[in-house]
Amino acid sequence: MFDRRVLILAATAALAAPLATPAFAATAPVLGQAAPAFTAVDASGKARSLAEFRGRTVVLEWTNNGCPYVQKHYNSGNMQGLQKEATADGVVWLTVISSAPGFQGYLDGAGAKAWKAKAGAHSTDVLLDPKGVVGRAYDAKTTPHMYVIDKAGKLVYMGGIDDKASADPSSLKGATNYVTAALADVKAGRAVAQAATRPYGCSVKYGSAD
Amino acid sequence: MRFLLGLLSALLLANAAAAAPVDTGHLQAELVPAAQGVAPGQSVTIALRQQIRKGWHTYWRNAGDSGEATRADWTLPAGWTISDFTWPTPHRLPIGPLVNYGYEGEVLLPLTVTAPADATPGQAVTLTAKAQFLVCAEVCIPEDATLTLALPVTAAPAPLDPQWGAKIRKVLADAPKPAGLTGAFETQGQAVKLAITGAVLKGADLAGAYFFPFSGTVIDHAQPQAIERGPEGLTLTLTPGYEFQTGGPKAIGGVLALDGKAYEVTAAPGPLPAAAAGLGPPPARVAVPAAAANLGLLGAAAFALVGGLILNLMPCVFPVLAMKAASLAGHGGEHAEARRQGLAFGAGVLVTFLALAGLLIALRAGGSAVGWGFQLQDPPVVAALALLMLAVALNLSGVFEIGTSLQGVGSGLASKGGLAGSFFTGVLAVVVAAPCTAPFMGAALGWALGQPPAAALTVFLALGIGFAAPFVAVAFVPALVNALPKPGPWMDVFKKVLAFPMYGAAAWLVWVLTVQAGADAVPRILAAAIVLALALWIAGAAQRQHVQGKGHVGLAIAATVLIAAAVVGGAVWPAYALAPAAGSGAAELSEEAYSPEKLAALQAEGRPVLVNYTAAWCVSCQVNDRVALSTNAVSEALKRNNAVYLKADWTRRDAAIAAELARFGRAGVPLYLVYGAKGGEPAILPSLLTEGLVVKALDTAGRS
Repeated sequence: MFDRRVLILAATAALAAPLATPAFAATAPVLGQAAPAFTAVDASGKARSLAEFRGRTVVLEWTNNGCPYVQKHYNSGNMQGLQKEATADGVVWLTVISSAPGFQGYLDGAGAKAWKAKAGAHSTDVLLDPKGVVGRAYDAKTTPHMYVIDKAGKLVYMGGIDDKASADPSSLKGATNYVTAALADVKAGRAVAQAATRPYGCSVKYGSAD
Repeated sequence: MRFLLGLLSALLLANAAAAAPVDTGHLQAELVPAAQGVAPGQSVTIALRQQIRKGWHTYWRNAGDSGEATRADWTLPAGWTISDFTWPTPHRLPIGPLVNYGYEGEVLLPLTVTAPADATPGQAVTLTAKAQFLVCAEVCIPEDATLTLALPVTAAPAPLDPQWGAKIRKVLADAPKPAGLTGAFETQGQAVKLAITGAVLKGADLAGAYFFPFSGTVIDHAQPQAIERGPEGLTLTLTPGYEFQTGGPKAIGGVLALDGKAYEVTAAPGPLPAAAAGLGPPPARVAVPAAAANLGLLGAAAFALVGGLILNLMPCVFPVLAMKAASLAGHGGEHAEARRQGLAFGAGVLVTFLALAGLLIALRAGGSAVGWGFQLQDPPVVAALALLMLAVALNLSGVFEIGTSLQGVGSGLASKGGLAGSFFTGVLAVVVAAPCTAPFMGAALGWALGQPPAAALTVFLALGIGFAAPFVAVAFVPALVNALPKPGPWMDVFKKVLAFPMYGAAAWLVWVLTVQAGADAVPRILAAAIVLALALWIAGAAQRQHVQGKGHVGLAIAATVLIAAAVVGGAVWPAYALAPAAGSGAAELSEEAYSPEKLAALQAEGRPVLVNYTAAWCVSCQVNDRVALSTNAVSEALKRNNAVYLKADWTRRDAAIAAELARFGRAGVPLYLVYGAKGGEPAILPSLLTEGLVVKALDTAGRS
């Protein structure tokens, strides 16, 4: 009697196991829904939150100044051009640094200011996210990794900056820029045609959790 | 001029195989041929070979969460064509919370070169590739190289290249290939189920199955892929990627990798075939870690022997053995009799250990995920043991006698009843002691269960010998018997004192039962206990009547009926309901229930994790919990390191926990693992914990 019971129980356990599978932990934010709220300090040490930009279109750009893919867009002036065009149009452009201290691309406030000035960036602000809280909330994987949030605070684009996944500056020629296209769709009140694409670049340098 | 060109190609030819690789900084790259040439109109395989610096990697066709696949732009003579790369099965490369797909060390990416029909034998052509690599460790560096290969055109098919021919053939043979697999996928709640069936999957070892998608946006690469087996294939539970937010993919293509084999498959949307599920997750791998693997039979047996000795001190075992030892003293000088008693006890111990081990081995051979301590995972067994403890305690309290009185005054220990009593004392001691894996036994029993039955039984035998040794030694060495205090009225007092640890053991088992079967078990087991106490008191009365020569049959019958009622009602019928899995009562530490998925998710978040594999019936687990885990210092260390405390409760059977125990070479609890924040294999803590040790392990884990 005993061993039969053991077998039955073991079989039950084996069958029940797959049913007990996962509430998935870190998953991507959802298109068309409210973009994850966040608060982070900017390069001047001031706390900035997504909520304060309600009513304006927001672009989030993950960056790491040591990453060759980021350098492709900054050394060529491509990223600054996009920023200038967007901000001139009333768009809020936030550049986020999620590199942990000691990892590639980490900058403190002064460092971020200096980098922004030197690069001639036209972003609205640089946000410092050394603990990766904002990065994890958006499931940001690469630098660059781009997000567009509409005036109602809904996420309307996430993914790559363009369709040429390469660190080679010559790949900029003829590339289709997804962020430009998404901003144009948002401005025209259309649904974003290409709302999710594969982000490409270096991995975001999240440190160990602490 | 023509002559010079010819000479040049001849020189190039001679050097083709030895063409110096180009060092791009973090890898060396070259083009290598599988054959020494190619005939007009025929094809030859060449390969782009990378020798990547240690700690760095390059990428598969789908690089995963970040990164970029290796690329090559070709310059070929007119009429020549070249295929795309054949991509070998990649590896998962976790980086923080992300996962990439790629290669480390040496990698060969084969391609097929086809010569035009009008190629001229005797000439050599030069193939030129502008190769681009993204080489990454923690940081990424794009590197490139212009690589050339001089390939002779031969009149007849050329022989294999001595250096690279066999190697490239093996890469091609091992590369993922279509194998007539059928795939279907369906969104279910937050997950995507991918079902794959096909002849090659029937009866295959699916424990290491993993799906590498060709597209970078169909799944979340970093999430675990839960496996369920079916009669003709498997179903993977995947986390959907971006593409599912924009209408979902029309098809999911990719590589299903098993251990050593890989198949290409394309899945279409649609209902999942029934034959791809229903058989549960794959059975646990008996992956014995290095330490346990090196144990060897002798080492395992030695550990088991020491473990057996320590078992004598378990609180529920000691009273039984102490009384038995004291009874030896009752013989005075009868050493021969003492020896017989010792042997009977030893036989009882060994027979029981071997019987339990045999049952355990047979069950595991039958595919059950059971480990040592499995006896106590069934509520009826626990209930029966609780009642048995109570009966022994009542006996020690003098409520009734065993054996001697019923068989007549004076037969004493010399009777056959006495020998049988010793034998069953041995049986009882093992049944009660076995689940409390003593510190040295964990590794030895884990090792044993991964071995052929003969070796496993040897280890259990050693355990039994260690367990029986102290008592048998006392019985065999006259000096030891003589050293025992002389019998006298003190023995009765001693006996009654020892009853109380036994009452305690009974109370502990009642608690174990409530963890297994819920609060409803309490009135039932306590009612059974009261009926049993009444029955044994009546039995004692019958014995006293008998001694006085009065009629006792009626009382004896009443006692027997009540004992049967208590055991049946308390342990056997109706069956105990299994309590919901919610932990075992309040704990001071904020703990979370263990599941492999939970652990993987926490690791993906980069948090240190302390996993406590425990069970209510495991005494050393409870001691560790009270003394070392549920303390302020540990609680602070958890907070300080942002660590999570997971409790894997094995009080009842659990295939997933048994699998994890097996992975670390254990057959039972306790097992304490501390996973570092940066991932990797966990640190295994000793089976006897101290607060300082746990705190130190957590602080280390927070940094590594």
